Amino acid sequence: MIDPSALYDWVGRLVPLDCMKARFMQQALVALVLLAPMAAAMGVQVVNFRMAFFSDAISHSAFAGVALGLILGLDARWTMVGFAVLVGLGIIAAGRRSSLSIDVIIGVFFSASVAFGLAVVSRDRSVARDVQRFLYGDILTIGDTNILLLAGLFAVLMLFQATGYNRLLYVGLSVPLASAHRVRVRAYQFVFAALLSLVVIFSVWAVGVLLVTAMLIVPAAAARNFARSAGGMFWWAMVVSLTSAVAGLLISAQDWARTATGATIVLCASVWFVVSAAPAALRRRQRRL
Amino acid sequence: MNSSSQPAVMFQDVSVRIDGLTILENICAEVPRGSATAIIGPNGAGKTTLLLALLGQIAYDGRIDVAPLQPGRPVRLGYVPQKLDFDRGMPLTVMEMMVMGHQRRPLWLGRASKAVRAAKEALAAVEAEHLARRPAGALSGGELQRVLLALAIRQEPEILILDEPAAGVDIGGEHLLCELFDRLRIERGFTQIIVTHDLSLVTAHATDVICLNRRVTGTGPVRTTLTTAVLAATFGIHLGLADIQAAQSGRPAPPGGHRHD
Repeated sequence: MIDPSALYDWVGRLVPLDCMKARFMQQALVALVLLAPMAAAMGVQVVNFRMAFFSDAISHSAFAGVALGLILGLDARWTMVGFAVLVGLGIIAAGRRSSLSIDVIIGVFFSASVAFGLAVVSRDRSVARDVQRFLYGDILTIGDTNILLLAGLFAVLMLFQATGYNRLLYVGLSVPLASAHRVRVRAYQFVFAALLSLVVIFSVWAVGVLLVTAMLIVPAAAARNFARSAGGMFWWAMVVSLTSAVAGLLISAQDWARTATGATIVLCASVWFVVSAAPAALRRRQRRL
Repeated sequence: MNSSSQPAVMFQDVSVRIDGLTILENICAEVPRGSATAIIGPNGAGKTTLLLALLGQIAYDGRIDVAPLQPGRPVRLGYVPQKLDFDRGMPLTVMEMMVMGHQRRPLWLGRASKAVRAAKEALAAVEAEHLARRPAGALSGGELQRVLLALAIRQEPEILILDEPAAGVDIGGEHLLCELFDRLRIERGFTQIIVTHDLSLVTAHATDVICLNRRVTGTGPVRTTLTTAVLAATFGIHLGLADIQAAQSGRPAPPGGHRHD
């Protein structure tokens, strides 16, 4: 197995702060630097496809995934990932077939998987403590295996973004138009849903169920305000997401702050969003003149 | 049989039912190659549904044969929707919209010069090159229709499908757009299918017509098809009564006054 400790040492030297001397902080920083760009890139499309509710449903499926692990006697981290991908693909498949609107379908999947998770967890008090970890996230306990997994997902996802960004934009603009103009809409929808499910469930480790959607949405929303083009939106989302992740981690480790890392990251991104409102307002005024 | 003399599209016994409701019933009609075929009918007649079936976006019974110009190759379609329902806050320039379907390189790594050149040509063909740098969300109804037309033409379509393309455009602009469609069709030799409920556009710009009111009420060349009886069957009796004089003088129905909004 690859030993990433040299990378951690390098990261520790790169950020010469007291708090970065601890190995768990170095690991957390590496994990966030992998996770933040993925969340940013997928967030651009989540905002363009109006899929915020979808990512909420995936993150909450973590409960059911963990419950499933308990019942089957398997490692909960794996059942969580597998179940999230199943829920994601299930929603897209049901949405394509049903005449119900997509948010109703997501709502049904959402409620069913949360109810299932809570039902199982409520039988077993010892698990209830673990549930809190999912709610708030725990980037500081991330291990080598998870970091390597994140790196693998990062490679696959960036390849998908590099080859599919334009087609996804087409689909986001208009499904009928894209499919008439020979974009393979269905394939893109399913691959996107599967990858998004993976990013969301990995982000649950970092920021918790409650804040996963924020990690996707807030940088992309700020980017939308800053950018004038679809290409620009991608880079703005990267900048906002990465700076928020790094700043959030460092702030949360300071003695005067001592806040939850996930929450601090999302707060930093929210500051970016407030700042981004200014250029957006300016542009609206220019258009009116 | 030579593929160029085949009809571009053949609808054979096409029916569409949605939740038990019959939207289209046993549609049999042809779109001759190189024609400008209008699909007309009142609101709720199933015009857009027929297009969606043709585009393969809804399930239907029966057959729709779309003959490619070169056998064995997939047919290239260009589609201009009625009203593009898109997120106007999306940061997307007209140029990005034009190239995104034609370059693999992601837009965040810049635009391919070949795709930009072709996009400029397509925009120039619809007299919209000045819109290239504008945000797509800031376009007016007429400007957006032009850009969508450029996007469809950029597909180098064998069949150009237009769904009420002039819906959001003022009356003068409507005829200008239709003149543009005529010119492009003749220059580029594609088949054009246009859905409209505006008879004045049909009489001025179409060569063939498919009259719909859930069923086909008449089909063929405009001059011989748009009789009072067909119009009455398509749009309802009031229109037939208003057109008696026109029918007696042997002319097709006069334009205007038949909007069924």
